[in-house]
Amino acid sequence: MNCPRLKSWFSERYDFEEMKSLAKQKLVPIHKYEIWYYTGGIVLFLFIIQFITGMVLSFYYIPYFEQAHKSIIDIVTKLNMGWFFRSLHHWGAQIAIVVLFIHVWSTLLLKAYRKPREFLWFSGFILLGISIFFGLSGYLLLWDERAFAAVRVATGGAGNLPVVGEFIKSFLRGGIDVTGDTLTRFYAFHVSVLPLVTLALIGLHVLLVQYHGMSVPLSVKKEERKEIPFFPNLFYKDLVIWLVVLGIIVSLATLLPPEIGKKADPLAPAPENIKPEWYFLFLFQTLKLFPGEILGLNGETIAILLISAGIFFFFLIPFFDRKSQRGEKSTLFTWIGVIYFLYFVVMTVFGFIS
Amino acid sequence: MMKPMIIALAGMLLSALNLFAQQDKIDVFPAVPYDRFIVYQNLIIFWIGIIGLIVIIKMKLREIERTQKMGIDKDEKDIPILD
Repeated sequence: MNCPRLKSWFSERYDFEEMKSLAKQKLVPIHKYEIWYYTGGIVLFLFIIQFITGMVLSFYYIPYFEQAHKSIIDIVTKLNMGWFFRSLHHWGAQIAIVVLFIHVWSTLLLKAYRKPREFLWFSGFILLGISIFFGLSGYLLLWDERAFAAVRVATGGAGNLPVVGEFIKSFLRGGIDVTGDTLTRFYAFHVSVLPLVTLALIGLHVLLVQYHGMSVPLSVKKEERKEIPFFPNLFYKDLVIWLVVLGIIVSLATLLPPEIGKKADPLAPAPENIKPEWYFLFLFQTLKLFPGEILGLNGETIAILLISAGIFFFFLIPFFDRKSQRGEKSTLFTWIGVIYFLYFVVMTVFGFIS
Repeated sequence: MMKPMIIALAGMLLSALNLFAQQDKIDVFPAVPYDRFIVYQNLIIFWIGIIGLIVIIKMKLREIERTQKMGIDKDEKDIPILD
């Protein structure tokens, strides 16, 4: 399709040639660890899928506790392709969190957080936290008994934090217990607050990547690396990977559509062997390790404090890793990253099988 | 005394029968075999489309890399305009 008049209309207003040459000037280093560069692009692509499928679902979802569960059943059973969009949204979220974890750990192990990219790490880490909260808030929107019990446990756990715990718990729940108000609140988080913050943070994250350029691991020597233009070379490779990811998600959505449980009843006891979503299992399993009381103090509070300290240390790693800041090899922090990874995997597996 | 008790018991048993009629699982996938067949067929067509697109992109990328290696991918700046 060639539209010379339309082209000239735009080129009179915008300097396309300048933009094109700018895109061609952006170079990306190529080396043996380049595969990890694609994880960021995959997450971005998955976020786009989540935004689109989420918008479609929000046309029909009713965020009121008496109708929420029925509206989901109606989406799945009565709407044309409704089951597919819901399943796509579910699997898109699961895969996005898996790839986000991989992205964070690859950044950690390749020390891509080192000076001057500290803010890239912080923005990425906050995005991971927001994605997990996206998962939790979206889970409650189902308003089935498992989601209800899981959110009660998760918000109750936050309530064990000293000083601010009660405030966080009541802020999240919109009251003293999980009720219809919590559903309305979580819906507001899920469709307005979190997407806005996510968009702003993704904008900042991508802008910082453009500003600093791609990080090259310290172990890759200057003579070992080449550079290729981002557009079109890397962009086309990204497209290939996105297509494969899309195929995997569509296949999972078709072959393994998520179940819908019974409608939540706030007065009923929690169902047996209740488990949270997989990305909370390591926390859930850690809480189980602690006794009810340690030296006269609440065991759960101590567990929550230790977990919070561990996450906070992880968040501040760019400041603690002085060797990487100086451009030296930092084996200690590689081991710390490996320990965090193993702990997460082992506890998640134990959570599944226990 | 016995008659109302028997009626109440019969009523309870009859209402308990409803429990067996209750649907255990909500259908989260088309239940009709023909619809299922169409969905699986479309999934295969979708994958064929994806593989086709990947092949086209790979061919295009290979061509770009070939021209880049030959150094003929850059625009000439002082090219004469014919119109």
